[in-house]
Amino acid sequence: MSILELKATTIKFGGLVAVNEVSFELNKGDLFGLIGPNGAGKTTCFNIITGVYKPTSGEILFNGNSITGTPSNKIAKLGICRTFQNIRLFKALSVLENVVVGGFLRHHTGLFSALAYLPPSIHETEHLRNEAMELLKVVNLDQVAHVRSAELSYGMQRRLEIARAMATRPELLLLDEPAAGMNPLEKDELLKMVKKIRDEHGMTVLLIEHDMRFVMTLCERIVVLDHGEEIAQGPPSAIRNDPKVIAAYLGEAV
Amino acid sequence: MKFWIVRLLSVFGAILGCVGIQAVANTQNDYTQRLIILAGLYVTLAVSLNLINGITGQFSIGHAAFYQVGAYLSGFLSVRFFQSAHLPPLVWLVAMVLAGAAAAAVAGFVVGLPSLRLRGDYLAIVTLGFGEIIRIQVQNTPALGGSYGLNVEPKIQSVAFVWLLAILCIAVCRNLLKTAHGLPFLAVREDEVASSAMGVNVTRIKVSAFILGSAFAGGAGALLASYEGFITPATFAMDVSFIILTMVVLGGTGSITGSVISAMFLSYLPEYLRGLKASTGGPLTLSGGTVIGWMIAVVFAVAAIRWVYSDGAKSKAQRLGWLVGALISGVVVQAIVGWGLNHIGKLQDAKVEVGQLRMVIFAMTLIVLMLLRPQGVFAHHEFSWHWVAKLLKKKKGATA
Repeated sequence: MSILELKATTIKFGGLVAVNEVSFELNKGDLFGLIGPNGAGKTTCFNIITGVYKPTSGEILFNGNSITGTPSNKIAKLGICRTFQNIRLFKALSVLENVVVGGFLRHHTGLFSALAYLPPSIHETEHLRNEAMELLKVVNLDQVAHVRSAELSYGMQRRLEIARAMATRPELLLLDEPAAGMNPLEKDELLKMVKKIRDEHGMTVLLIEHDMRFVMTLCERIVVLDHGEEIAQGPPSAIRNDPKVIAAYLGEAV
Repeated sequence: MKFWIVRLLSVFGAILGCVGIQAVANTQNDYTQRLIILAGLYVTLAVSLNLINGITGQFSIGHAAFYQVGAYLSGFLSVRFFQSAHLPPLVWLVAMVLAGAAAAAVAGFVVGLPSLRLRGDYLAIVTLGFGEIIRIQVQNTPALGGSYGLNVEPKIQSVAFVWLLAILCIAVCRNLLKTAHGLPFLAVREDEVASSAMGVNVTRIKVSAFILGSAFAGGAGALLASYEGFITPATFAMDVSFIILTMVVLGGTGSITGSVISAMFLSYLPEYLRGLKASTGGPLTLSGGTVIGWMIAVVFAVAAIRWVYSDGAKSKAQRLGWLVGALISGVVVQAIVGWGLNHIGKLQDAKVEVGQLRMVIFAMTLIVLMLLRPQGVFAHHEFSWHWVAKLLKKKKGATA
């Protein structure tokens, strides 16, 4: 059953067509890759899916329902959460607090209960903090839970972004270049982690990545974009040998 | 069970504390009583602005407007309805605080709406404009006394209620930050796009912050009106907004402790300066040369301190030596420049009362602070018993 479906999605910024009639479909439990050269429109695709931009035309279905034009925070509540290419952590907050913000959308108590410091909201806070701590163990950051997130190393910040997104308990997790800036050792760990997120936490993963080895080993299906157009789609083995993809990355054969 | 006992005790303690402040104030003269009341009102104003400005990150510089809305609404209601209401004065006062808070909350909601689309400087301009609109509108409304001001009957003076509101405001902000509900507010300050992607309803958070913050300012306004018995639009001029903002920034944006302490300090400082007496008994005056000398000395000292801390290689003793040196040379520079200007430039006869210099001293304090500690005195730290215990332990460890 398809969890996410893009139907001929187009977005134009003035005269620039950033994404042109892109269509693809994700099934539940997929590890799906979205690749393409710089400026191909990959992150724009993410922004359309998560409601940052409204597409000029086309439709996006999540679990069969249209989410076109739904605001970001509602989309997060429906079950799509993302990380950012240029890391966007809440820098002044601690590592744990960052993850609690992610889990906060499941809160039940009202603002008044918090302002009066009543037991329901105290218990809820405790509960959310415990949940966040569990997630930090998954991404191996529990040792630094009380450090300000701005003080973490680059690789750790990327992992924290994943934990924060996972805290919203999404059905679909979007990772925007999760391995960027990581060393080979960290990349291997991330590879295992993303697999684990899919297998043990049952999330469907859509990721953008530039590291070809990373994408080819991890993803089961890949879509390739170039200049906003979809040029290929299929399993890694087919993508690797697709002449259009090779041309897009290396230039035309002479 | 234990929770409720602690809760009951702390509420009881807060009320007792306020009654205590009232008791102390009753033994003082009118002037000191007024200082105690103003300090309480400014604490409320600074802490509530800190909720909007420091915690939620919405740069608002029109806080005096909410203060004014609360003051005028309660003043107007008092004049019209107190006689016919037949309520005891203190009950009436509570009702007025609630009414002022409600009116200011509505105003806060209205101002909160543009903040959904505007950020930073642009929002600041809107809030500034809003503040001026309210003030000038009141100035031109005869029913509210216009620019002559409004006589508020009856005058109900209660130090205890002023401080009760201040403590309530502090408690509400602290509770917010203690529970998970405070985190989305901080998250909106840090990054709106990311908060929204995490499911935070940014609109709702911003508007809540404006409503809450302005409600407390409105309550403070109602208390001011009933204390003073007379309010004019000039009481809520733009510089009041700026003084409140200064309190928040000086204490450390986001720190409740910082706002409380700097509100008390900055509301007392001008009065202290005004009260300084020369040995002859008149107000203390300085000659123009001396004032300029001091300003140059402060700049000199700041530069020296910055230079000392710019190099990490120096040892503690060396740093201390340099700092003492900087301070001494600052005083020396002041003496020489002051003497020189007084004698060469004939500035000796240009006498200035220290009380009139308070705005200069305000400005200098802020400049020095921004250079030496841009994050504010308390930065993001908060007072806690845990912290006191840790400090005491450290002291014990040092002496043992």
